[in-house]
Amino acid sequence: MPPIIETEGATKWFAQKVPQSGFTGRLRNFLKPVTRDVKAVDGISFAIEAGEAVGYLGPNGAGKSTMIKMLTGVLVPTAGSVRVLGRVPHEERIVNARDIGVVFGQRSQLWWDLPLFESFELHRRIYRIEKGRFDRARAELVDMLQIAPFLERPVRQLSLGQRMRGEIAMTLLHDPKILFLDEPTIGLDVVAKDVVRKLISRVNRERGTTIMLTTHDLRDIEEICPRLIMVDDGKLLFDGPLTNLNASFGARRKLTLEFASEPATVMLAGAEPAGGEGVIRTFLMSDDRRSLVDIIAALKSDAELVDVHLHEPDIEEVIRTYYQSRQRQAAPSKRTG
Amino acid sequence: MQTLSLYLYLVRLQLRTRLQYRANLLIGWVAQAFGYASVYGTIWIIASRFERLGGWVWPEIALMLGFHVLGYALGALFTFVQLRGMEELVRLGTYDTLMVRPVSPWAFLAFSGINIEYGGHIALGVGMIAWALPQLGIDWSVLTVAQLVASLISAALLTGATLTIIAAMALVLTRSRYLFGIYFDFWELSRYPLTIFALPLQLTLLSIVPLGYMAYVPVAALLGKPVPLIGAAAPFAAILAGPVMVVVAMLVWQACQRRYQGAGG
Repeated sequence: MPPIIETEGATKWFAQKVPQSGFTGRLRNFLKPVTRDVKAVDGISFAIEAGEAVGYLGPNGAGKSTMIKMLTGVLVPTAGSVRVLGRVPHEERIVNARDIGVVFGQRSQLWWDLPLFESFELHRRIYRIEKGRFDRARAELVDMLQIAPFLERPVRQLSLGQRMRGEIAMTLLHDPKILFLDEPTIGLDVVAKDVVRKLISRVNRERGTTIMLTTHDLRDIEEICPRLIMVDDGKLLFDGPLTNLNASFGARRKLTLEFASEPATVMLAGAEPAGGEGVIRTFLMSDDRRSLVDIIAALKSDAELVDVHLHEPDIEEVIRTYYQSRQRQAAPSKRTG
Repeated sequence: MQTLSLYLYLVRLQLRTRLQYRANLLIGWVAQAFGYASVYGTIWIIASRFERLGGWVWPEIALMLGFHVLGYALGALFTFVQLRGMEELVRLGTYDTLMVRPVSPWAFLAFSGINIEYGGHIALGVGMIAWALPQLGIDWSVLTVAQLVASLISAALLTGATLTIIAAMALVLTRSRYLFGIYFDFWELSRYPLTIFALPLQLTLLSIVPLGYMAYVPVAALLGKPVPLIGAAAPFAAILAGPVMVVVAMLVWQACQRRYQGAGG
């Protein structure tokens, strides 16, 4: 079966005006503006199979929303190809829209002044959902997302978390094959974030809906998406299972050993000493698959071991370290260039 | 059929929303009535003082003003308030939320934002036309009635199409509000007989900014008054201007939508 979403060298350039100073500059700006191309998405290729849940991660300005907009037919790619359900989204925008659902974390699609159920009814008419099918889907989603208590309340009176649950329920009414979520947990409090993450994950598991979500919150990905696509500066950095991320980015586990007295020698096979003083010694592990028992069994020391602490790098740390190293690399070239 | 039912449902939702704020609606109507009364009063004083304005007497001018406000209101009902905020829709990403639905974003905006505040304009326009027509001795026939109705529809289409073209600019330039300002400068000029203006302005209002076809050309054609530059073609031009602008607006909208860059990303 062909992938449900496929991009091949997808590229999107935006023409950005270059401001001109002075009177003639301003006049030229008005008559014939000088523009420069900014690459928001730069030759990105990936394929997503039906039923997958994929997180699309990157810092602000990395081109995440631009990719979602190309996949939903809002934007036309400058180069490369984008296919969703076998179609070119911008060429068949309306047909494509019937098979997908899109939730924008920062923009509501609900009717602000009317009760939530009125937006659902409008959705039924927009997507031409047959009444019986709509009633069944609505009952199921109201139950699943627990929105019955505020279904009849005007949207403007709902909390952000309630509104997001309403948005997700509405977007699923026409049973889309793919659900795109653009920053679905942005602005939510910790509890609401947790509720929304669990719901999205359930939608993927129980309904088999393919999920693609953009975020800069790693917890969204940890809890929803087994697969991660990471981008920065418009380019693809990583595409694979979340569990492979540490190895790909060279992140290593840190082992801290505490001895009864200060050891003269400490030898640990397959580990690199990383400091420590007094009774404490720290090592960086080169092989991520070794068990703690094996590691400790290989320890050679003249002092008695009293405590062991193994620190697993979390993905946030891995990615933060990576971005910081990128910024450090970029900084000197900016100064000299 | 389903599309029509969707649009009617959007209108119903919008009416219910608007009626939640009845006091606002009433204040809006009163404010508009004062605004128009002062402008029309000024034109009436000028016309009465000098008896004629560009060769037109007050009842003829009143018919033109009624036609102007009615044609404008019928077109703006579906377009002005909705499209005036186009640059905000683009900037805040609201337009993206329309693009991801299986609807025409323009039609969705037009019907979901239908503005009943124009009820006052429509009442004013109908009232002025009803007052002016019996005083003008028009030789009524099926053809003149058809001409009046068709040119009124054309004026409404012209309004909707022009406002659509301006709003489409926001899709590319992310700014369009200043263009609405320019539109209303010409719109105010189009309330007067074109004959009071110099030739370059007449030419502008009949070509590049074709607001001369809003009221002056159709009413002059109905009253059998001479029309500069287009002469005997006036009745046809009055009827065709709107549909032609609609075609232009559709092409511009499509072209701008294809070049749409969104905001942020």
